[in-house]
Amino acid sequence: MAFMEFGGKQVELDEDGFIVNPEEWNDDVAIYFAESEGIKELTDDHWKVIRYLRDYYKQFQVAPMVRKMCKQTGYSLKQIYELFPSGPAKGACKLAGLPKPTGCV
Amino acid sequence: MPEYKGMVQPVRATPDEMRKIFAEPVPDEQKPEKAIEYLDEIRKKFRSFVVAMESCVKCGQCAENCHTYLGTRDPNNIPANRAELIRKIYRRYFTLEGRWFGKLVGAEDISLDVIEQWYSYFYQCSQCRRCAHVCPFGIDTCEVTFIGRQLLHWLGITPKLHAAVGGAMEKVGNHTGLPKPGIVDTLEFMSEEIMDEFGVEVEFPVDKPDSDIIYIPSSADFLLNPYTLMGAGMFFTYIGANWCIPSNVTEAGNFGLLFDQYYTQRGNVNRLLNAAHELNAKKIVWGECGHGWRAAKMYVPSLADRPVRWPLTHVHDEAAELIRRGELKLNPENNPEPVTLHDPCNYVRACGLNDNMRTIMNAVTVDFREMNPHGVDNFCCGGGSGILFDDPEMYQRRIQLSQKKADQVRATGVGKDGNGILCAPCSICKAQLYPMVEEHELGVHVHGLIDLLAKALVWK
Repeated sequence: MAFMEFGGKQVELDEDGFIVNPEEWNDDVAIYFAESEGIKELTDDHWKVIRYLRDYYKQFQVAPMVRKMCKQTGYSLKQIYELFPSGPAKGACKLAGLPKPTGCV
Repeated sequence: MPEYKGMVQPVRATPDEMRKIFAEPVPDEQKPEKAIEYLDEIRKKFRSFVVAMESCVKCGQCAENCHTYLGTRDPNNIPANRAELIRKIYRRYFTLEGRWFGKLVGAEDISLDVIEQWYSYFYQCSQCRRCAHVCPFGIDTCEVTFIGRQLLHWLGITPKLHAAVGGAMEKVGNHTGLPKPGIVDTLEFMSEEIMDEFGVEVEFPVDKPDSDIIYIPSSADFLLNPYTLMGAGMFFTYIGANWCIPSNVTEAGNFGLLFDQYYTQRGNVNRLLNAAHELNAKKIVWGECGHGWRAAKMYVPSLADRPVRWPLTHVHDEAAELIRRGELKLNPENNPEPVTLHDPCNYVRACGLNDNMRTIMNAVTVDFREMNPHGVDNFCCGGGSGILFDDPEMYQRRIQLSQKKADQVRATGVGKDGNGILCAPCSICKAQLYPMVEEHELGVHVHGLIDLLAKALVWK
């Protein structure tokens, strides 16, 4: 467990660098994670995916099916990988401040 | 990074994460003593374990039959040697020669180093039982891995992945942490997708009382395997079943089998049967999950704490039976791509699904090519028993563990033109193979079997 400071607030991260409490997330967290994921700059495309995941998580307390995320954001899986090299779960969900997915994923 | 004296190890659960699954970690200084106490308890209970401890003659037959050893060439990954990691302790404390002659007869004192060795090697074994299948003495080394992991769990050493799955199961009744609104939302999305792609109206009832069938999907299907989930809905709709998915147990897996065969496994069994009871279901049909089907088919009766009044079947059993009776109209031309089948180890070496998978495969595809070897002689995908660790060291190890499978897939030639299908009807296999077919550049897409069946259905 580690704590990082974003905008004067302490945010707890787990060993994999995922956020522990999704409510603590803010834009600065995404920008910080982007650097560690090797993403040079967060574009509107990135933010569209991040905002979609945030909204979905807020409503359902879980990440959406990958296929649904692609359909509703309009990006193919290939494009998602281009935007987030670690993929939808370990890249996009991480930047959006969702907890690390568990199970056979 | 998770490494101990040169050995790779999965990231372990924190004490808090262990407490969430009702396990209290043992302090390090007490671990060796407790390990012996627990080992003593277990050896008195399980004859399968004592047979493995007493009978091995180190003939070496298991070595070249283990994909973990083939991929890593680490001598401790030879099944007989992996078992020796516990056997040397068993010998020291529970045999006369070991107590008297110690190292001379290969006995060793328990220590934290030995326990750390267990953690490294019992989580590189995928419990696939191919070594058991070829052992001339009938030793099931998987039973040794089971017990190694059980001892570790009681000592408070469990991978973060497995403990997180246990915690999610406690919290919501599935491994991926899906609460009911998320389940319903995804299923509604699946109905829309089926309408778009197949032009068929399919509903996914949830928690419908008095259902003839409750269907237990793998929760990974809700995130990663859309066609498996759609396939089940299409199949049940096609046969006109009165069915539903229970939101309280939306999980075919039972990781208790893999790290804690006491509290966790038994708890999951009873959660399932309570759901069947509350919904007044008549039958339980299982989805695509290898270890979970073994845990259900082979362990439910002895862990149920009650008479089991529900027939338990696998969706492949249901489909194969209807195909044999000629009750499904199928067009195999709907799956024109070259296909090969990866047999989930638990299906073929523990549950007898070998023939039924092929009955379906032959009826729904036109270019099915068997791997060599296959069926009961198959090799594991390298992810078996949930060793889907994704930190950089363990991920590299997963690539090594899938080498044998990659060689087999390549030899079938299905991926030659880049449009092949690798059918792997189990969520652990799928989660392992999605990235591994890319790492090994196999030119195939990974699918379930019910996915292919659904595509071949001819609707009236």
